[in-house]
Amino acid sequence: MSRRAAEAVFQGLFLLSDIRGILRETAPLHQLSAEQKANTAKSLEKLEKQISILREELVS
Amino acid sequence: MNCGEGIDTRLIEELFINLDPIQAGGRLSADAMKAVLAYGDGYSVCDNCEKPFRLDCIKKPPLARFHDELAKFLNMDIARLVPGARRGFQAVADTVVGKGDPVLLTAFSHYTEFLSVEQAGGVPHEVPANDANIITADAVASRIEEVTRSAGKTPALLYVEEVDYQYGNLHPVQDIARVAHQYDIPVLCNGAYTIGIMPVDGKDIGADFLVGSGHKSMAAPAPSGVLATTSEWADTLFRTTQVKGDITGRTFGVKEVEMMGCTLMGVTSMGMMASFPHVRERVKQYDQHLSRCNRIVDALCSIEGTQVMSEYPRKHPLTRMNTTGSFDKAAKTNKKKGFFLISALRERGITGIIAGSTKVWKFNPYGITEEQARYVADMFLEIAREEGLPVKSG
Repeated sequence: MSRRAAEAVFQGLFLLSDIRGILRETAPLHQLSAEQKANTAKSLEKLEKQISILREELVS
Repeated sequence: MNCGEGIDTRLIEELFINLDPIQAGGRLSADAMKAVLAYGDGYSVCDNCEKPFRLDCIKKPPLARFHDELAKFLNMDIARLVPGARRGFQAVADTVVGKGDPVLLTAFSHYTEFLSVEQAGGVPHEVPANDANIITADAVASRIEEVTRSAGKTPALLYVEEVDYQYGNLHPVQDIARVAHQYDIPVLCNGAYTIGIMPVDGKDIGADFLVGSGHKSMAAPAPSGVLATTSEWADTLFRTTQVKGDITGRTFGVKEVEMMGCTLMGVTSMGMMASFPHVRERVKQYDQHLSRCNRIVDALCSIEGTQVMSEYPRKHPLTRMNTTGSFDKAAKTNKKKGFFLISALRERGITGIIAGSTKVWKFNPYGITEEQARYVADMFLEIAREEGLPVKSG
């Protein structure tokens, strides 16, 4: 059982949901404010971390 | 892009500003999307269901607390989750309406309110709206008198919509309930367009039964809703089963008859609960949502020949427009005919207005940001100018 991998999947999906929220708030032009850009960048950074965990846990 | 065999992924909310009159308040919060991901499996809220085995008693996830908080939020004594407002109407009608009982509804009652009366065997009578498309307490009083005379008994129940689905007008429920109570008629307030959108105080308006829609106005997945009542009606409405199997002798604990036991056992209740903190906050910012709506209405009304058919200034963002003298004139010469408006809007990333409508149509900008409201207003004006329609400067 890899609880770490399961949590990384959900953490990743949740981070993507936050980005989905930003897409909705900024539709249709998707011109993000400075704050929205910073939040999205932070989400992407965290998402990369979750992907690394999944690589470690499941495919390495 | 498919999300299953032959199932397109829905990208409407991500790519467009969606002005659909019934979809605006049900758009999920990001937290509800997360809950949907985590609790999509069938009976996902039942992992820790313990005695007395009922949805409103589950502590993990905190559904019991959510039920209590919902009742407080509505200033009612007790609340239950229901699969859509219609199931709330059904539960109330089944409880208080007997065969042949007269029941009062209004000229703006939803068809499911009528069906709930029909199912209970009641006889529906409508209260007419006045010239401003408002249901008044005086009209209710007159109808109570008329119906009581013709039926030989007072109506068993009065349905009243706090905001109606046709004009999005706000009706004086408090005054109406006061009149109904003078005749001892219980009042069901249909808050499908208000609960989760604007502040609603059930006791203040005098509702005996208060019904809301999760998927219409509480940023929740469908079908979801809330049915709340007062302590006076709680034991009757939420009566528990008394039945017993004649061979097995089985009984069914504290299951509530009108709820058919448990109601929202998975993704719907979890989505609703996850959105609840956001919903609680957004009703406090109702004025901002209204001002965004009024900005768009003002822009539309600056196009000559355009009228707002709903009360104005708007008290609710669901709005009915008449553009027979503006966009419909343009439709007569545009090669896309009546479809030019939705086509022009979609080209600009706006959707939700019924395709082909250029005379009378509804929209609902609830939940959009200030920037998005400005954009929608500008785009309506741009389309009007492109079609050569005169726009008043202001």
